[in-house]
Amino acid sequence: MKLYQRTIRDLHQMLVDREISSVELTDAVLSQIDAVGDTTKAYLLVTRELALRQAQAADERLRANRDVRPLTGIPIALKDVLCVRDVVSTAGSKILRGFTPPYSATVVERLEGEGAVFLGKTNCDEFAMGSSNENSGYWPVRNPWSLDRVPGGSSGGSAAAVASGEAIAALGSDTGGSIRQPAALTGIVGLKPTYGRVSRYGLIAFASSLDQIGPMTRDVVDGALLLQAIAGHDPSDSTSSLRPVPDYLATLTDGVKGMRLGVPKEYFVAGMEPAVEQSIRDAIRLLEQQGASIEEVSLPHSDVALPAYYIIAPAEASSNLARYDGTRYGFQAGGGRNLIEEYMLTRQQGFGAEVKRRIMLGTYALSSGYYDAYYLQAQKVRTLIIEDFKQAFKKVDALLGATSPTAAFELGAKTQDPVAMYLNDIITIPANLGNVCGISVPCGLVDGLPIGLQVIAPGFGEAAALRVAYAFEAATQFHKARSPLMGAAA
Amino acid sequence: MSAIATRYEVVVGLEVHAQILTQSKMFCGCSTDYLTAPPNANTCPVCLGLPGSLPVINRRAVEATIRTALALNCEIPEFSKFDRKNYFYPDLPKGYQISQYDLPLSRNGHLEFDLNGEARRCGITRVHLEEDTGKLLHEGAIHEAQASLVNFNRAGVPLMEIVSEPDLRSADEAREYVMRLRAILQYIGVNHGDMESGQLRCDANVSLRPAGSAGLGTKVEVKNMNSFRAIHRAIEYEVERQTQVLESGGRLAQETRGWNDARGLTVSQRSKEYAEDYRYFPEPDLPPLDVSREWVAQIRAGLPELPAARRERFMTAFSLSPYDAALLTSSKTMAEFFEETVRLGAPAKTAANWILGDFSRLLNIDRKEIDDASIKPRHLQQLISLVDSGAITGKMAKQTFEAMYRAPDPGPALEAARGSTQISGDAELDRIVDQVIAENVKSVADFRAGKEQALKFLIGQGMKISRGRANPQRLDALLREKIQ
Amino acid sequence: MPEPESELSSRQVEHVARLARLGITPEEVTRYRDQLRNILHHIEALNRADTSKVPATAHPLEERNVMREDRREPSLPAEAALRNAPSREDSYFKVKAIQE
Repeated sequence: MKLYQRTIRDLHQMLVDREISSVELTDAVLSQIDAVGDTTKAYLLVTRELALRQAQAADERLRANRDVRPLTGIPIALKDVLCVRDVVSTAGSKILRGFTPPYSATVVERLEGEGAVFLGKTNCDEFAMGSSNENSGYWPVRNPWSLDRVPGGSSGGSAAAVASGEAIAALGSDTGGSIRQPAALTGIVGLKPTYGRVSRYGLIAFASSLDQIGPMTRDVVDGALLLQAIAGHDPSDSTSSLRPVPDYLATLTDGVKGMRLGVPKEYFVAGMEPAVEQSIRDAIRLLEQQGASIEEVSLPHSDVALPAYYIIAPAEASSNLARYDGTRYGFQAGGGRNLIEEYMLTRQQGFGAEVKRRIMLGTYALSSGYYDAYYLQAQKVRTLIIEDFKQAFKKVDALLGATSPTAAFELGAKTQDPVAMYLNDIITIPANLGNVCGISVPCGLVDGLPIGLQVIAPGFGEAAALRVAYAFEAATQFHKARSPLMGAAA
Repeated sequence: MSAIATRYEVVVGLEVHAQILTQSKMFCGCSTDYLTAPPNANTCPVCLGLPGSLPVINRRAVEATIRTALALNCEIPEFSKFDRKNYFYPDLPKGYQISQYDLPLSRNGHLEFDLNGEARRCGITRVHLEEDTGKLLHEGAIHEAQASLVNFNRAGVPLMEIVSEPDLRSADEAREYVMRLRAILQYIGVNHGDMESGQLRCDANVSLRPAGSAGLGTKVEVKNMNSFRAIHRAIEYEVERQTQVLESGGRLAQETRGWNDARGLTVSQRSKEYAEDYRYFPEPDLPPLDVSREWVAQIRAGLPELPAARRERFMTAFSLSPYDAALLTSSKTMAEFFEETVRLGAPAKTAANWILGDFSRLLNIDRKEIDDASIKPRHLQQLISLVDSGAITGKMAKQTFEAMYRAPDPGPALEAARGSTQISGDAELDRIVDQVIAENVKSVADFRAGKEQALKFLIGQGMKISRGRANPQRLDALLREKIQ
Repeated sequence: MPEPESELSSRQVEHVARLARLGITPEEVTRYRDQLRNILHHIEALNRADTSKVPATAHPLEERNVMREDRREPSLPAEAALRNAPSREDSYFKVKAIQE
């Protein structure tokens, strides 16, 4: 097996055993980026020198056996929404072209502390708004399983990088499914932690009450390792929780025997591909065979989650994106006769169509006379969705469903129809609104394209989500399937 | 103005912005010292609004706001939150200001004050907490400026907004209200009260309504008044202007006008093509505040004596007139100066007269605060005792006081008064007493006959001859000696 | 309060774009109007939920009173604060004149 095809856990063992060095490993991954990067377009920026410098430092740490951590020397990709000190960070937007933050996100600092190696900034939908990566301000990303298909979004670059061997693991961000959906569409594991579990400090904001950073990895163990490294309270993020972080590996292999797993009937939505539904039903049966008790549950307000999301997220975004006016950083159009004209030109030229659409939608929803009907109503609906989950989790330990109603679609298939695009997230969005956590784990191939099983656990129940996902993964081979670009395991 | 007073009633409400004295900014650890720092030196990702940065609430700023609200007799609700006020302006780095909208830290208070001996009361709608903006510097003349320069050192400094009810009925009342409010802020240590540097800023909503009517007329917001005098002049001007518009059958526009202090008038600031729509919504980056009753009690317990209470105490303990007591307590530092002078032994009334008279006059001319002066309570007390002991005359004391005030160290001037300026030579005093006795034979006889009153007259004559330089007590002694 | 059902007009689109400081061409006004109408049409589903007795959720967490002590932390070096500025003069950010 090639080094870039391996998991964090494998590579960690090899690093510790001196079988390989981090520089060798990093070289191998950088070579794979050289080989397929132009095909996937997964990266916006490859930080080759930084990576090699960090790899050397990691090797010294490994040689000295000084504070060796599970991620020491492991090459990781970072979604471009994460600020890295002195490294261009644009959130996939032209309006932030060339922006080099003078500070790093808390998660970036934590990974640095672990001795991880940063490969670069991965492509994404502009400001994380999208489900296909076609809204990148730079270029679309292609799915390593089928180059005429999207990798999902918005963390499509991170997903494609992990699925093509251009990274061992990656960080993504998830506001309405942006980690889980591309993970499902590229055959990897993606976990959206509970809001408050991981610090958002340094995450370029899309929707502040929904955004969470999470791991995108080859398997569930790697997901647990990466989450362990980034989770926990951060005094710089007032919305990060003070709850202690459990040891995720400790309960990972406990199995599902005796667990109660719920199947929300509302998650088998109209428009779900029959093959996807079949795979999910099969996955549920498999978990039942593993000893879980399965029962149907209802999340009665699932149908209003999508509309609530498309008010709350754009409303917050319209405010979060007001700072991009071209006066302190990023793109400045020039040519305006006065400041207000300059603002309008800068924002007209700097933002892409989807971002502008959401800014207008959000501005409208907050504007005088419409606030109660839209924003306030959406927040009340959010309360109902939180309540739905609370009720369901009184009966069951975790919920099962598809991550995405379909496998990866073709590039351009939905770009003309915003609403069709929004429907992609219909079964990932409730977890963001409901303040629970969710993980997507590969559960099959449909016409050669990967699909994902979503496991949703209560707020701060990441350990339970990981445990169910691991039980499923351990009983199946789906996660071992490799994209054609990554190459078959030798 | 008299015609106006009968025909229209003036309705004024004030919005006062007061920076809170903290070490660090409202939502980050940057220093609040924006006046002396080089441009943009006190900034960080949070107060520059860099992508990805997040705010964290400064506890002291919250407590100072509650402290202020308690001093203004406000209710403190048990739940409060921050909201975003969205608008674009180059001094606002995030494109929104973190402020408070529908659930401020406090509401429904009042401030009592005196105007010409009459008690007044102005309602306080709310006191809320927000962040200050950066500062713009215009290149070249403001009207032709091609560019502005932006300094974000002030961005994020904690700011309280104190909103009054439209309860003020004249420019005099408005000025008095702000003076009392400023005194309170100083008393409780949340603000220095410096208006010129913008630490304390005031906007006024001014309207007129037919006398006796209860409705509100068209409201004009007046901005840019940065002294008590400016507040007074601007409101007087605005009342006059609005009266003229109404008198001539015109209609007032609801607008914002800026006070131009040099020209002494208000100027319409371009009425916005589109009405502002701030799109307030709850700040998702900041969890709300549960304001427990214990927390409020703790803050209340830490409040010092407030001006109104101190004024009462001054009236009873020192037998001062309500007017003098009010003036002395209008400034915390002045009240403290007074109390210290009295504590050192000066008679209260005399000390009050000095502070409110000569001292205030000189301070006003120099636009200085009492604690900026070189004269300290011990100096004033010593001067008063010199006068009282008869060592120097009142007239000399006034000259001495001014000399002390002008000097960086008042000591030498005080010593000089104590020593050399008084007629101490016995020979000269002897000569004066001899002259008095020779020129006032009848009074001398009266005194010999037992009329004490006559001696007072003789002393007065001696003072006259010495042009006030003699010590009346020594004159008294010498006259008695020589006549008897 | 205006009926949210009433169709979004081109004038409203222009107003919203102006509020959001987004330059917009006449063609875009029409395109965004139609797209936003379609999106808003789907969003009307919100009203299917009975929220008459439901409080709004603005903050998903139970955390309250998250505050820091009033302590100074180092600021950025002025150069780091200004290095991304598209236009600057000395240590100031420079912007076009405000008046129209």
